[in-house]
Amino acid sequence: MALENEKANVFIQRLMANSALKNLSLLQREEQILHFLKANAKQLYPTLASSSFFPGKGWNYIYSSLYNALIKEINIYLFPELKTVIESRIDFAFIHFIEERKHEVRQVKNEIAEFLKRLLQKTEARQSFIGAYTAVLKNLTEPYIDEVFERKKYIHFELTKVQKLTMGREEVKNFILTSLLLKPSVHLLTAGSGKDETLASGVVNGQFVDKAYMVLSNQLKSIPKKLLKASLDSNLSFIENKQIETTSRITSIFAARGRSYKPSVKVDRGADSPDKSWFNIARRNYKYYGFDSTMLDEFYKIAAENGW
Amino acid sequence: MNKKITNFFEMLVVTAILLVLIQMFLEDFAVVSGWSMDIQKKLSISGFCFDLFFTIEFLTRLFYAFANKKTYYYLTRGRGWIDFFASVPLLMFNSGPTIFALFFSGTAILGIGGIFNVLKVIKTIRIARVLRFLRIIKIFGKIRYVDSVTAQRHIATVATISITVIVFSLFGASFITGSTGLPGIGESIFNHQITIAEALTKAETNEKDFINTIYQLNRLDDTLLIVKKKGTAIYSRYKNGYYREHFGPGDYTYYKNQDLEMFFDSRPVSIQNSVRNLIFFFIILFTVAAFLIFYSPQFAITITDPLHVMERGFREKDYNLEVKIPEKYADDDVFRVAKLYNEHYLPLKDRAENNEEKGLLNIGMQDIKDILPD
Repeated sequence: MALENEKANVFIQRLMANSALKNLSLLQREEQILHFLKANAKQLYPTLASSSFFPGKGWNYIYSSLYNALIKEINIYLFPELKTVIESRIDFAFIHFIEERKHEVRQVKNEIAEFLKRLLQKTEARQSFIGAYTAVLKNLTEPYIDEVFERKKYIHFELTKVQKLTMGREEVKNFILTSLLLKPSVHLLTAGSGKDETLASGVVNGQFVDKAYMVLSNQLKSIPKKLLKASLDSNLSFIENKQIETTSRITSIFAARGRSYKPSVKVDRGADSPDKSWFNIARRNYKYYGFDSTMLDEFYKIAAENGW
Repeated sequence: MNKKITNFFEMLVVTAILLVLIQMFLEDFAVVSGWSMDIQKKLSISGFCFDLFFTIEFLTRLFYAFANKKTYYYLTRGRGWIDFFASVPLLMFNSGPTIFALFFSGTAILGIGGIFNVLKVIKTIRIARVLRFLRIIKIFGKIRYVDSVTAQRHIATVATISITVIVFSLFGASFITGSTGLPGIGESIFNHQITIAEALTKAETNEKDFINTIYQLNRLDDTLLIVKKKGTAIYSRYKNGYYREHFGPGDYTYYKNQDLEMFFDSRPVSIQNSVRNLIFFFIILFTVAAFLIFYSPQFAITITDPLHVMERGFREKDYNLEVKIPEKYADDDVFRVAKLYNEHYLPLKDRAENNEEKGLLNIGMQDIKDILPD
């Protein structure tokens, strides 16, 4: 058994080191490898069932061994990386502007870190986390929030007058980054693949989000309620829930953007830039994904004018 | 191995095409600038070598085309006719005779009268040398904006039409002036020399008048070089060494009447011909450059680039970049299709991919060959 685990670890480590996956984030690599194993099961099985790997074992056993080895291997790097993001990348001082009640930054950080460790044991939470986490790691939101504050148009109005956030642009950026981290928390309560509560577009049923909020707000005492609510609401469709927070709408859009983000995409001559293309496609699919179309229009303009 | 030889051969041809363009320019520039005959001879020899090389290349390509039953394709769509016009006639009627004259007769004698008109037409064969510019289209693919097969073919087609029309118009013009007696380049100079030759022939009957006429001509006209009577030179403008150093094949015209032989300087005509050749050279050079600089980007921006982006979008699952639609070309057919691609196809593709349970795969079996044992 130990020998088989060792073999699975070595196989997974070599797969992870593959140059085709080099530019991807840890969770993107994980997703790619799982997809690869499933897609090439027929071709892989004869080799993996040979004496060099798992002699005489069935595919389900082999897949399960490789899956466990992969999750274990990814977690070795993922959790320290997440810890660094929480400790260094995000400034949690914004929580003081959310609620009158005093929150301890240290406690909030620890609680989020511990919660994510727990949450990311679930497959569907890991899958849901890929886009949001990429958006955090690549800081996809920062340049857009800067532009939003420069322009002071629809999104700025929604942030300051509708959601009534009384905080500066840096605090808003950190608010959204934290929302992105907590966005998949809704999956803590989903059963199985979460298909009963989640649509293909990733939008989650409103009642389920309310239920998740009730449960999680009792579990996560240190995290400001408004932050938790905004994070969970980023799983809702704006088309059906016009009242959802501006930060939730932004989080929802950038988590989706992170899902299809490619770090070093070659822009051919004659093609539009990646962000501009993505926002324009999202504008056309806004109903399907439940995005705020006016918000997308503004982000699209920002991307177009800046050549992003 | 065969591919390596073919690549080497293609590189050799491309290099030769670039070099022959420089040689073409220098050969005429040397005449206009009055470079020494030694340099001009070397340039003529190099011109012959290039013509020989391109003739062998043409015959080789023709042979392989014939062997593969693609002769018609090579000569037409393969632009073998350009290879032909830019090699065989030049070797036979231009550089070949020049080299023959250089090595076997010392001077290429150009007669006066009917033969002169025929040779003048043959000399226009040199114009065909500019067709070699069309061959550099072969290396256009390495240049920005012309990296698609369609762009290369279209630019080659329009450049070929333009240059061929210019070249064959010049051929036609030369043929008309050469065969119908219409005045062409150097006509007035040769007529003047004929007048002098006739005057000397008349004066020959009286020895005193004859000598006076020669000395007057020596002062008034600098084209009369040598007068021979019964094979003996009775007048020479320069010493023999000067002729060797400054005169080459085609730089003399020769007139003979019974015992009297006269040599005239025809270099002014050569210079006029070379100036004309240089003008043609630059016209063609700028025409090709204009297609490359102005037309190619235009073609790429409005045709091949949007098609390439759409083709990638159709072919690659994770390629979702939109086609950039310039406002001023928005009504073009291609961009109307691109608009449909942007507004309908890509959003549908995005939703379809989102519905797929499995995401897009960056890694394939070929990427893990080193992990799996044989």
